[in-house]
Amino acid sequence: MKMNCGQYEEKFSAWVNNELTTAERAEFEKHLAGCDGCMQEFTAMQQVWDLMGTIEAPEPSAHVPVKFKAMLNTFKESAEEKKGISIKEQLARLWQWQPRWPLAYSLVIVLISFTCGYFVFRTGSAGKQDEQLKALSSQVHELKQTMMLALLENPSASERIRGVSYTSEIKHADKEVIDALFATLNNDPNVNVRLSTLDALTHLASHPEVRQGLIQSIIQQDSPLMQSAIADVMLKLQEKGSVNSFKQLLKQKDLNPGVKDKIRQTITQLI
Amino acid sequence: MLRVKAGDLDRMGLLFERHYRALYGFLFHMTYQREASEDMVQTVFYKMLRYRNSFTGDGEFVAWMYQIARNVIKDNAKKNKPGTHYDAGEIADRLPGGTSADEGFEKKQENAGLHRAMAKLSDDNREILTLSRFQELKYQEIGHILGISEGAAKVRAFRAMQELKDIYTKMER
Repeated sequence: MKMNCGQYEEKFSAWVNNELTTAERAEFEKHLAGCDGCMQEFTAMQQVWDLMGTIEAPEPSAHVPVKFKAMLNTFKESAEEKKGISIKEQLARLWQWQPRWPLAYSLVIVLISFTCGYFVFRTGSAGKQDEQLKALSSQVHELKQTMMLALLENPSASERIRGVSYTSEIKHADKEVIDALFATLNNDPNVNVRLSTLDALTHLASHPEVRQGLIQSIIQQDSPLMQSAIADVMLKLQEKGSVNSFKQLLKQKDLNPGVKDKIRQTITQLI
Repeated sequence: MLRVKAGDLDRMGLLFERHYRALYGFLFHMTYQREASEDMVQTVFYKMLRYRNSFTGDGEFVAWMYQIARNVIKDNAKKNKPGTHYDAGEIADRLPGGTSADEGFEKKQENAGLHRAMAKLSDDNREILTLSRFQELKYQEIGHILGISEGAAKVRAFRAMQELKDIYTKMER
């Protein structure tokens, strides 16, 4: 094969396959006639090519078309099903959606009932509860008051002190309690009871009658302990109305000299 | 095929009747496995149905069919590769008397020699010769199937023929 014979490779492929035009064919065969190398090579190849023509591919078995038809039918069915599916799918979607709506509904209902219940119980029973609580606390209050009054009558001094101490728990001391306390303050034989009563009454000093009662009780006290304690309370309360009572007290001849000094000091401080 | 694409699936039966033998021949020459080739015919047509929308109508139906067939062969080879891949020589040895070979081949002794020579060709060369000689396709179509130019198809065909001739003459000696 000569160097320039390369261009005939393509031509040969086309020639052997009968794809050349008559002009091309003539040109190719002309070259072949004048080129021994090409002639030899191409002839051998053409022989092989021709021989290839005798090779027969085996025939596919009869199963192949049968299987194909079966496949085509199933495919068609599935394709039709796909069309049908659009409706089926919608149904399926509906089915999927269906439980969601009831779910949402029930959730909303549960929520509403909870809020309703919350408000109903809050407004309705809260008032009731308040009333009940009030009634209960007033009952307790009364109970304590009765107990305190009963305790003040107790012969034991320590029991009476306990009774007095209850007054600190009684927030709204009424007239009855205050009277009982003053009775104890002025008449109780035990100094300790009187002192704790004075202490209890000091806490109730916001009541004007308590202040008044305290001032009146100044002269009734004969114990120097009580006299100086009252002086302290008056000083603490800055009760100027007590000055007169103290001056009266100073006139008493048997007054303890210590107390006398203390009262004088209190008077000067109050004035 | 465009009618098939439009939804007329019965047309596919017609296309099958027209082309399945040729397709089978191609698959057989590429694999030398009869049953596998029959299965692959089925697979190729199934894929054509399945992906009918990808048929653009640009180019021949036949070219499209062979393109799909080539992919199916590749998939099949991949599937079989671990363990059961036959190289060309092995196939050649199996051919004349192997159980898979056609009885007709055994009788045609001269054919058998060429057949063996063909089996020794590289896959690419055997492919282009199969397409041009057995499937009798034009180089333009072959180029389209293989994704190369017509000229390149011709050159490749020439080289394949040369190789086949060389193998064959060596065997004859």
